[in-house]
Amino acid sequence: MTDQEPYVPSTTIRIVTAASLFDGHDAAINVMRRIIQGTGVEVIHLGHNRSVAEVVDCAIQEDAQAIAMTSYQGGHVEYLKYMYDLLRERGAGHIHIVGGGGGTILPSEIEELHAYGIDRIFSPDDGRSMGLQGMINSVVKAADHPTPDVFGADLEQRVLERNPLALAQAITAAERGEHARIAFAQGARRSPVFGITGTGGAGKSSLTDEIVRRFVNDFPDKRLGVLSVDPSKRKTGGALLGDRIRMNAVSHPNVYMRSFATREANVAINRNISAAIEILSAASFDLIIVETAGIGQSDSQITEVADVSMYVMTPEYGAASQLEKIDMIDYADLIALNKFDKRGALDALRDVRKQYQRSRKLFAQSTDTMPVYGTIASQFNDPGTNTLYRAIIDALVAKCSLGWVSSMQSDDADSEKIYIIPPDRTRYLAEIAEENERYDRFVDQQAQLAQRLWQVRGAIAELERNDT
Amino acid sequence: MTSKPNKSADSATPTSRTASEKSAIAELQRRAADIEQQLHHEVRAVLEGWEARKKAYSDEQYVYTVRNREIRVDNYTTSLSGTKVPKIALPTFTNWGDVVRWCMQENVPGEFPYTAGVYPFKRTNEDPTRMFAGEGGPERTNKRFHYLSAGMPAARLSTAFDSVTLYGEDPATRPDIYGKIGNSGVSIATLDDAKKLYSGFDLCSPTTSVSMTINGPAPMLLAFFMNAAIDQECEKFIVDNGLVDDVNAKIDAIYAERGVPRPIYRAGDGSTELPTGNGGLGLLLLGVTGDQVLPADVYAACKAKALQNVRGTVQADILKEDQAQNTCIFSTEFALRMMGDVQQHFINEKVRNFYSVSISGYHIAEAGANPITQLAFTLANGFTYVEYYLSRGMHIDDFAPNLSFFFSNGVDPEYSVIGRVARRIWAKAIRNKYGGNERSQMLKYHIQTSGRSLHAQEIDFNDIRTTLQALYAIYDNCNSLHTNAYDEAITTPTEESVRRAVAIQLIINRELGLAKNENPLQGSFIIEELTRLVEEAVLDEFRRITDRGGVLGAMERMYQRNKIQEESLHYETLKHTGQYPIIGVNTFLSSKGSPTVVPAEVIRSTVEEKQQQIDNVEAFRRRNDHVSSQALAELKAVSVRNGNIFEALMEAAKVCSLGQLTHALYDVGGQYRRSM
Repeated sequence: MTDQEPYVPSTTIRIVTAASLFDGHDAAINVMRRIIQGTGVEVIHLGHNRSVAEVVDCAIQEDAQAIAMTSYQGGHVEYLKYMYDLLRERGAGHIHIVGGGGGTILPSEIEELHAYGIDRIFSPDDGRSMGLQGMINSVVKAADHPTPDVFGADLEQRVLERNPLALAQAITAAERGEHARIAFAQGARRSPVFGITGTGGAGKSSLTDEIVRRFVNDFPDKRLGVLSVDPSKRKTGGALLGDRIRMNAVSHPNVYMRSFATREANVAINRNISAAIEILSAASFDLIIVETAGIGQSDSQITEVADVSMYVMTPEYGAASQLEKIDMIDYADLIALNKFDKRGALDALRDVRKQYQRSRKLFAQSTDTMPVYGTIASQFNDPGTNTLYRAIIDALVAKCSLGWVSSMQSDDADSEKIYIIPPDRTRYLAEIAEENERYDRFVDQQAQLAQRLWQVRGAIAELERNDT
Repeated sequence: MTSKPNKSADSATPTSRTASEKSAIAELQRRAADIEQQLHHEVRAVLEGWEARKKAYSDEQYVYTVRNREIRVDNYTTSLSGTKVPKIALPTFTNWGDVVRWCMQENVPGEFPYTAGVYPFKRTNEDPTRMFAGEGGPERTNKRFHYLSAGMPAARLSTAFDSVTLYGEDPATRPDIYGKIGNSGVSIATLDDAKKLYSGFDLCSPTTSVSMTINGPAPMLLAFFMNAAIDQECEKFIVDNGLVDDVNAKIDAIYAERGVPRPIYRAGDGSTELPTGNGGLGLLLLGVTGDQVLPADVYAACKAKALQNVRGTVQADILKEDQAQNTCIFSTEFALRMMGDVQQHFINEKVRNFYSVSISGYHIAEAGANPITQLAFTLANGFTYVEYYLSRGMHIDDFAPNLSFFFSNGVDPEYSVIGRVARRIWAKAIRNKYGGNERSQMLKYHIQTSGRSLHAQEIDFNDIRTTLQALYAIYDNCNSLHTNAYDEAITTPTEESVRRAVAIQLIINRELGLAKNENPLQGSFIIEELTRLVEEAVLDEFRRITDRGGVLGAMERMYQRNKIQEESLHYETLKHTGQYPIIGVNTFLSSKGSPTVVPAEVIRSTVEEKQQQIDNVEAFRRRNDHVSSQALAELKAVSVRNGNIFEALMEAAKVCSLGQLTHALYDVGGQYRRSM
């Protein structure tokens, strides 16, 4: 087996990766998705335990060329055939399905799946003869074509009906510069746009998911679009579009989500976001959330497309003077101070509020009224996130003159962490190490004493001997 | 100090000594007294008791008392050659320093710090064998359980659940669910399924113990199990009091009113015959619960008796799920809260013989961690549960005895001492830091030989690997052991391959002469050195985890996951280059190149079994429709007002299916959020 060079794609390829339903074996798919990305592909990774409907809906919404699955928990024949059927049922039979499951998928089953129409199931022998890169090259090469134009002249009609594949293909047309195909969207009444940006690792996707969850519960009849941007790798052109993996709430009939790669360096917003907003507006989405890559200085680009924008940060920004360097504090309508359980969160809340106040010269108002909210998105039904959600809706209603009535109670609560381990106990493991080592030293010391005692007793006995 | 290290010349007549000799003796005596002053009273006790202790182990029988009962154990076994082989061999040290160090760091089995084992002697009537089984519907697995335990003095059942159950859902016709029903484990979706699964085993007998490998939905499966045990007690009461006809009439009336047939035990092939060994206990109350047919006080008494007597283990280790295994279904904090609720309920109801968690390194190792990382992460997780339960106000001695451990044994050198190091670190910390009593200090663990060390090439060689790993485990005094079948790398084990795997244990336990001795590792220079090195490495890892905010803080940064992945890659790389030799895999290949063995066929659940599980759960939901929504509403209400969720689950599990319970809890606790 020789390690091959990565194939170089000629088109922009998008592949959805996941592990099967009720299947936690994600080691193989994690290796594969990295190699796929390294081969210049935009990878939308869903992680483990994904139903066929979740994967198919994602592939359609993302206008992907292919789905790459692993299955190590059995039931792969039923799973993959169902995926094949569901793609056809939803008019997306052009999406390739490839997969693998090591020795759990028998050769006879591979034959059966290939005969059914599954594009390629790799066996352990394929792995040995082709190598990892060789396998991925064959997958990427087969997917190296633009997605076919499924709707032709019907595209506009289908977009207006909010057919997910039509929405996806219209957005792809914008990305490809095929403006004539989506001319219908220009001039449509623009839907309200809520922008979210922030530093990497601040918990943007989790917070976005929590906002989506509250929105679909709060407004069961409203339609929500989510546009999420992640950076492309300049070296390979590939990208890891990883926001969906954290999103539990987007699997909902009223939600359409699309992931974007920036496709150019040092920008937070894909230049086609505006076109995507037009398309979703034409399709009468009630709200569009745009989440952008957290890459620092270009964050404020979000304000160019959003009616209301929010900056997500954590209490861990260093000294208060660092806040003066953050552009978005000057531009954001709201600020979420996420991971509010971190040390120094209350100080951070005060400092960020002050900075917000200073940048807008709102000295006549109390610092406490500044729209900065402590949240713990990782905590279920977090009160701070509830308060933030209500503030977002209120801001959108005011800014866009909407008639929405939210039933979410606003009690101005900040997040309060329900601790599993109390904060003053987090050193427990080091304390155990210290305690055990203290015992070991005690044993050493006592053993030495015992030895000395034994020797002294021996010396006494020796001196007391008479028969010398 | 009464014991004498050296024979002093007691019998000699005092003769004249020089003045300098006299003063030297006086000075030495002063020093001896001074040193003795500095000796800790426990150390003095060790030295004073040493000779008596040696005698206790060299007499014909060892005598000790447990709960005021005198127990006598033979100290020797006799070989064919007539050699008397001691069960516990003690060191022949004369130097008190060595005696003290040995007694405080090693000691005999059954004494602090329990390095050599937590019990003074192994049970003579019970091998530690516990074999994992689960396939198809509950009836098929019930048959397998009866097959595996036939002729065994104790029924030690270990349950593998199918992945539908592992993720807390009900069997259904949707193809992505359908294909997984009853594969790689048994499908259990209702209390009736649990009753069938363990029918014919007296769940409250001291010779029955049940292990359940379930994590995300562990509280629900545990509630099914406990209710099954309670209804068995009710059934025994009904039979003993001649109420069978009476109760049957009551159940018939209940079902006549609902207009549906009573559920029955029926195998996938349609046969309603019970398997050999199954006397039918547990099936009388199929479709109802004891409280529907017995007076409230009788039911309460049966319930209390069942809860106080059930033996077993539920895995329920949510930390390792997030770190390695990925069968989390709830948000981690909510899952931890429910674990705490289970333990609190165990304390309230005096559930003393059931382990509320099996703190598992197995899956961490299977995901690729090396043995040191396996041990360090697992112990760290264990101490995290300790800290959490303490913070909820539980007393260490009320919960620590309900914790158990589960490790993988591979072939790496560290695996020869994994139990020794685990026991020693645990005992020292629980005694010295947490002030726990002896029961709390005793770390008990199950070993499964490493599945990852088995290969799909030259699969006959796998039994050799398993044998060596089992030997490590038995010499190290594991409390329970599963040996993998040689064909596990390629398929679901057959009865033939499982029998061979059990034989590995039996041959070591019953044929291998050295295994008649119960501390064969003690006194070996290399074992002592490895123990020291691994203990030190584990404590170093504790510090690294602390630097990341403790176990939960480290998990937030995915520290454990990343470390496991790195170590997995290291192994794969060395295996690939051949630097790490694996016989019949990357070296010593056969003339045909030792190709991957492909199984001719794989045991899968049948269409009938799947359909039966779907029909059964649908029928269960339908006939409980009038009560389940109220039960689910109550369950959610208890959660919202921060009540004990497990207590509420014990009730809701009587009338709700697994999927119904899971989805109700999602509404109040949140689903797991994946990450990368």
